[in-house]
Amino acid sequence: MLYFDNAATSFPKPPEVAQAMAQLLATDAANPGRAGHRMAVRAEQKLDQTRLKLARFFNAPDHHRLVFAMNCTDALNMAIKGVLSDASGAHVITTVLEHNSVSRPLQSLATSGGGGIELTRVTCDDDGLIDPDEIRKAIQPNTKLIVMMQASNVLGTIQDIAAVGKIAREHDLLFCVDSAQSAGVLPIDIQAMNIDLLAFPGHKSLLGPTGTGGLYVGTRCPEPVSSSSGSGDHPAAFRPWREGGTGGDSSSPSQPAMYPFYLEGGTPNTVGVAGLDAGLQYVIDHDMSKTLTHEQHMVQTIIDKVADDDRFILYGPPEASKRVGTVSINIKGYEPSDAASILDDSFEIAVRPGLHCSPYAHRRIGTYPAGSIRISPGPFNTDEQLATLLDALDQIAG
Amino acid sequence: MTQSLDRYHRQILLPCFGEEGQRKLLGSTALILGCGALGTMNASMLARAGVGRLIIIDRDFIELTNLQRQILFNEADVANAIPKAAAAKEKLSGINSDIEIISVVDDINHANLERYCGLTEGSEYPRVDVIVDGVDNFETRYLANDVAVKHGIPYIYGGAVGTFGAQYAILPHTEKGDAPWEKLPGATPCLRCIFEQMPPPGLTPTCDTVGVLGPVVSIIANLEVVETIKVLLGNFAAVRPTMLNIDVWENTYRQLKIAKAYDVGDCPCCKHRKFEFIDGFFGSSTTTLCGRNAVQLTHKQGHVGTGSHSGGGGMNFDEIADRLRKHGKVTANKFMIRAELTDNGNPYELTLFTDGRAIVKGTKESNIARSIYAKYVGA
Repeated sequence: MLYFDNAATSFPKPPEVAQAMAQLLATDAANPGRAGHRMAVRAEQKLDQTRLKLARFFNAPDHHRLVFAMNCTDALNMAIKGVLSDASGAHVITTVLEHNSVSRPLQSLATSGGGGIELTRVTCDDDGLIDPDEIRKAIQPNTKLIVMMQASNVLGTIQDIAAVGKIAREHDLLFCVDSAQSAGVLPIDIQAMNIDLLAFPGHKSLLGPTGTGGLYVGTRCPEPVSSSSGSGDHPAAFRPWREGGTGGDSSSPSQPAMYPFYLEGGTPNTVGVAGLDAGLQYVIDHDMSKTLTHEQHMVQTIIDKVADDDRFILYGPPEASKRVGTVSINIKGYEPSDAASILDDSFEIAVRPGLHCSPYAHRRIGTYPAGSIRISPGPFNTDEQLATLLDALDQIAG
Repeated sequence: MTQSLDRYHRQILLPCFGEEGQRKLLGSTALILGCGALGTMNASMLARAGVGRLIIIDRDFIELTNLQRQILFNEADVANAIPKAAAAKEKLSGINSDIEIISVVDDINHANLERYCGLTEGSEYPRVDVIVDGVDNFETRYLANDVAVKHGIPYIYGGAVGTFGAQYAILPHTEKGDAPWEKLPGATPCLRCIFEQMPPPGLTPTCDTVGVLGPVVSIIANLEVVETIKVLLGNFAAVRPTMLNIDVWENTYRQLKIAKAYDVGDCPCCKHRKFEFIDGFFGSSTTTLCGRNAVQLTHKQGHVGTGSHSGGGGMNFDEIADRLRKHGKVTANKFMIRAELTDNGNPYELTLFTDGRAIVKGTKESNIARSIYAKYVGA
């Protein structure tokens, strides 16, 4: 199988990832923080080491505020619902490019009775780029939050989140970044980019296993409801959307108002985190700018193949430098799902057809409802594999 | 039992029946799997004979082209777009109001068949005494075969297409070997003893692609009913141990002696007690596709010629394309066949790939996609 679906989840993983998971399972797979025995302590230490490594990787000032999540969707739900659950009537700015992991929580808050929010979806240009100035123009007196992705999962386009972060800070707004397609391949500096909430998956460019991800919650966000106040009448609190056992402070009737435990109710995925730790280490050791260059080279080769060939349709900018390693195309005469099935069936090539959970983006580029064929190379794809893919596209297009 | 047996007088007169036999029948439960041409005849005859409880499962709605052979249905059912199982219950209640008829409108699959047979903890259905085959695809038959062998329930196989039909009664080998039929006359080979794997998708003709003569289905269905009644009366020695193959146009009637298939083979189901269809390792699975009103149907293992990757899997594109052309516009290349079909008044687009997978556009319902596939490709 030639795997070109790294935007969905990266494959293969570095061998160290499976080794780290097997090692933890074999020796340290106790429940972290639930007991003081040495295995539980080692499991807790693994979580804490990875937490610190991630915080440093994203230049987050306090690693305790980096909480583990099951994936980026989980992290975004924590962030959006955490910040907005007490914010009835607040205005939120987002973009048409967003994934359903952002669009759907916002939509449900916008349409919920009583305490609904007001929502503006800023559009992109024809290439799939968001103009930060359009976001500035959308700001209202009641705007509270800007939520957007750093790179599009449909077009791969890289957004200028540093510019948007600056705007957010100037207007005293919270800024939440979905780094599903960028964490591990584009530089992210939480402090320099003025990011208040950073959601990331562990299983994409960070090369960890599925079931991992995280959220950084900055200090400008509302504070947790303190366990002493207990009740839900705090005016502007950050709400945990999952509550439960944290190992410590069990006598308190409510969730302990201390990060990371505040948002980490339930037994953490220590096995997955051990894998994420190994994946992250691989990323750190292998210079992610080289990975970006490699993926952009592959995307540019695909673009050069299809851009001037009228059997194909290319979406997004012709310059791979404006993208992460993701490109969407269509083959004329084929539904995306049919073309992807042929790639799998006849050529053993994995790509992703359809809407990629981003219906508004496909509406904007004119590919709704059939969507597109998304090709997303990863760090381990070779030029030889790419040549096979291009040949397959050529044969199918006929 | 206080029911009057008057209505059953003519069959009670039979020496093989008697009042005792009738009471046995009234106290038994039969599952009729599928309610098309075979199933309507099965259900009609078993209801008339006084089988106490009938469970009838079918996922489809009645179409005009069904009326040629599916004896319980009429034009009003077509006009009202009634599910087959519901219409059958209504008709059968008017034929015999003394018996209980349970109708289920659902796709039969590995996750639910044991429940519908009353075999799972907490199932709301009574435990069935026999499974009667009225289905149109091999995947469901192999699943029924698994259930029959696993739980020691006789399975009455029957199938018909064109002018050809086959019928055979499986009295399964059980784990403990203590089922009443295992002493005398002895258990019979299961489907997997005879053909360990299903035929490849697209290779078997279906009623919707090559047609079917009404009477051949009725004949096969009634042969099934005969064997079902023998089983429910506990007269296992009377059960025909052979597989009967008939072609009513060629006038051939052959009995295949298959009793040795169990002994000579190494059946994964009977001998190794591996129920790969119940466990979902074999058979097909469906995925609703992102973006389109479409369902993708893929095959796991379990077909002849399909491995983890077959790269061909026995699909004969030319033959299938020819069959599909009778139903609508077909375009094909070496990678895929695309057919525009109208089924029960609804437009669908069926795209078939070389490994047997298919995308059915025009629905998000997996049972509709399965039905379209079974009818037009053959599962």
